[in-house]
Amino acid sequence: MASWFYRGLRRGIVTTRYPKAIDAWARQLPSPPAFHSARLTIALADRLVDACAAGALSRADRTLILDLGKCTACGRCIELSNGAAQPSGESLLASPDRSGLVKTVPIRGGQTGDE
Amino acid sequence: MSDTAGTPDGELADISAQLRRQALSVFGRSLHIRTVDTGSCAVCESEIRLLAAPHYDLHRLGFFFTPAPRHADLLMVTGPAIRAADNLLLKTYAATPDPKAVIAVGACALGGVYPEDALTHGTVDRVVPVDVSIPGCPPSPLALLQGLLIAVGRLTERVSALSLDLDAAGRP
Repeated sequence: MASWFYRGLRRGIVTTRYPKAIDAWARQLPSPPAFHSARLTIALADRLVDACAAGALSRADRTLILDLGKCTACGRCIELSNGAAQPSGESLLASPDRSGLVKTVPIRGGQTGDE
Repeated sequence: MSDTAGTPDGELADISAQLRRQALSVFGRSLHIRTVDTGSCAVCESEIRLLAAPHYDLHRLGFFFTPAPRHADLLMVTGPAIRAADNLLLKTYAATPDPKAVIAVGACALGGVYPEDALTHGTVDRVVPVDVSIPGCPPSPLALLQGLLIAVGRLTERVSALSLDLDAAGRP
């Protein structure tokens, strides 16, 4: 065995370690939306669903469904939502369970029914 | 197209998936990755390539890229599984020795962006079984790293506990 190998084992040092935590700027990367459910109405939810180019948003009665797997974090829904949606800051979304990526948000606004 | 005729269902499928993940963890700090492009725009590839750069340096975690599927333990599949790539993907999958895992990388591979039509399957899991899904368009190298560590059982996923419902203070 080459002597450099043993020398490396004996004297090799780690010069740089991984950071202890994820850098703060990671939360500013484009990320899927999170919703203020109290400000969501059915009419607004339908507008967001229509605007979603990736087909990640859908609505079932009073529930907004976001498939994180399909979401491209393009920000169209956040722009349209008038404050009802904002970037979630979550970009570490890997999962062994595909169905776990489908998130639901209740639509709590507009209960009196003018939409 | 899906080649899942011999795949078990239900509880058995859970056990089988768990066993395969445990088997992968046996690879410890020497796991070899083959990337497969099924029609991606190459941005996912660009992020995957960054994993090997000094900042993320995935080699120190024991992951290595290999050009040969016969040397690979894990496939990272990008793109919406275009039908023209069926042969490529199935042959690569068949050539990868067991136990193996497949990671579907990016929104295309998970059904966003391209619908199922005459040209594409829409999602990778219609062609080969997928073990870990990594969302993002593209997923950041950090997200890819998280997916890899989940695939070998060195991290547990946290997305299932994630709530996207915010209260008035903007907290989930």
